[in-house]
Amino acid sequence: MATILSLVFALVIQGTPRTIAIDERLAADAGLRVGDRVVVAAEPGAPGDTVTIGAIVARRADPSEIARGEYRVRLHLDHLQRLLGYGDRVDRFAVQTRGREAAERAIDDINDAAFGFRAHRSRDVAVETSQTFRVVSRFHRAIGVITIVASAIFLLCILVLKVDERRRDVAALRLLGISRRTVHGAVVLEAAFIALVGSVVGTGIGALASAAVNGYYQAHYRTPLRFSIVTPDIVVLAAGLSIVLGVVAGSVAALRLVRARPLALLGR
Amino acid sequence: MRFHLAVASLVRHRTRTVLAVLGVAVAAAMLLDMVMLSSGMRESFGTLLESRGFSIRLAPRGTLPFDTEATIAGASAIVDTLSRHPDIATVSPVLGATVHVVAGAPRTTAFAIGVNAEVQGDYEVERGEDALAGDAFVANDEFFRVTGARIGDTITLATGYSPQLRSFGGQRRMVLAGEARFIYLSRGQSAVAIRLATLQAMGGPERSDRASLFMVAVRESAVADSVQRWIEQAVPRVDAISTREALARVDERLAYFRQMALILGGVSLIVGFLLVTTLVTVSVNQRIGEIAVQRAIGVSRSHVVQQILVESLVISLVGAGLGLGLGLVTARWLNGILAAFPGLPRAIDFFLFQPRAAWTALGMLIVSGILAGVYPSWRATSLPIAHTLREEAVA
Repeated sequence: MATILSLVFALVIQGTPRTIAIDERLAADAGLRVGDRVVVAAEPGAPGDTVTIGAIVARRADPSEIARGEYRVRLHLDHLQRLLGYGDRVDRFAVQTRGREAAERAIDDINDAAFGFRAHRSRDVAVETSQTFRVVSRFHRAIGVITIVASAIFLLCILVLKVDERRRDVAALRLLGISRRTVHGAVVLEAAFIALVGSVVGTGIGALASAAVNGYYQAHYRTPLRFSIVTPDIVVLAAGLSIVLGVVAGSVAALRLVRARPLALLGR
Repeated sequence: MRFHLAVASLVRHRTRTVLAVLGVAVAAAMLLDMVMLSSGMRESFGTLLESRGFSIRLAPRGTLPFDTEATIAGASAIVDTLSRHPDIATVSPVLGATVHVVAGAPRTTAFAIGVNAEVQGDYEVERGEDALAGDAFVANDEFFRVTGARIGDTITLATGYSPQLRSFGGQRRMVLAGEARFIYLSRGQSAVAIRLATLQAMGGPERSDRASLFMVAVRESAVADSVQRWIEQAVPRVDAISTREALARVDERLAYFRQMALILGGVSLIVGFLLVTTLVTVSVNQRIGEIAVQRAIGVSRSHVVQQILVESLVISLVGAGLGLGLGLVTARWLNGILAAFPGLPRAIDFFLFQPRAAWTALGMLIVSGILAGVYPSWRATSLPIAHTLREEAVA
């Protein structure tokens, strides 16, 4: 209903106008402040009501609003009904209950007694209206899978190269009589350490990138919504994955080295 | 010779070559997908908007077509005004509404558009006949599926449902004349098309002589932008939106995907570059003695450089070849995920394959492959020959 409301601005200083609240985006774009008077009308060019801006409302962190450039205006219910010629009608009622069980009972009672409308749980409505974000979330997960595969291959390749660089050291250790097991353990430990340090640095870079993403998109869409969140679960997954991959890659590469003859490793 | 030496070097270390090629392949796949994503949606949407020759759309002021339930009053006067412009070839007024099947088929709800079938640009009839008569309508496959109706059936459609009174504003017994493909509607959306005058009449006084949208086709010789400016002056109650503007607004709304494509594409390219650089650098370091010997027996610097560049190019090209194929598969998968966006027209693709996208990705990978060989080449050619040979002999 509110979406068909358009604003026409004009200076009218007559009578005692009613108040409205506008969102901060509209206030910023139109240069409006609390106390300014504007004319609101249901259609462009139609005669409207002169109102006073009584409040400027911060936008909610609502994902469903980020891609929409529209402004939000809040009027008193009876005012909007009269302005739109809507009669004594509303689009919906929001009902607060005392706990989950009370909500279930209220829904059943309302649906048994109601004539012409239905009661829904807020949770069900949210699920129904969040389809867009579930799609985006699935897309992000898919991109995440591809990124993990790419990172895993990159990590394996780098660690294989890193271990391969130690051919001469390994040969020298073996010629000095150090056991295969000790050499293997040392190489794996080194690979795990590199993976661990890489994970710590990567977590820092990820946190910085996340802050940059939030800063940019919050300014771009003018919303307090957080677009990127680095949670402990994500850090554990990323660090765990890189350490496991590092150990596996290091172990495979080290096995190849310790099984070879020391002189062969020296190219003889 | 150079090629054989480069390939021999890669074959000598199979494991790491295979890993590097796989890494480049995944990076190339991601790069291709992101190039497709960055332009696909725009191209796909532009093609969709222009598919029926309507290059300007008129919506209620401050809204996009069918973005709200707002309608435009005085539809016939607007059509008359627009039709007088010599550069305007066709004007198609469209009214949107929700209709309910109340008799003749299982009860269901569908999105209805009221159009004049002779000039409409919203659907293409696939079976049966168009809705030329006042009591005829066409429907899409989803409507046929949900209702189980057949062409020729008589069905009662109603609009203006009042939940308080549980009654309808207007009802009509109508004949299902044909099946149509609705160009701008999403998958799974049940839809019908009715004569504009019929739908207006069913909506009662609230819908009388109103339209939700006007689609305007200009003559081939005309400039759409000048016609658009004229419309905005002649009919100040509406927003005239050209295809170019519509694409700009879609760009604005989907900036997130474009920027994500740019970032991920850039990261993929950098990862591929680093991988090839690292591999070739390590390879050069291990062959430092061999390269010094080549230089000592008279092999030129350019020969050594070419050999190393060929090595990095081979990895990049083989990886890119695999990656482009992999990219098409993953693009299809990702497109399938995004196709579930509510309200997305069936004809829209986020990942639209265009040969230009593949060439762009391949070009970037080749440039990246050449650049990846620059540092190891410089290192190889700047070796002090005598010192390196002595070091190698001692080692």
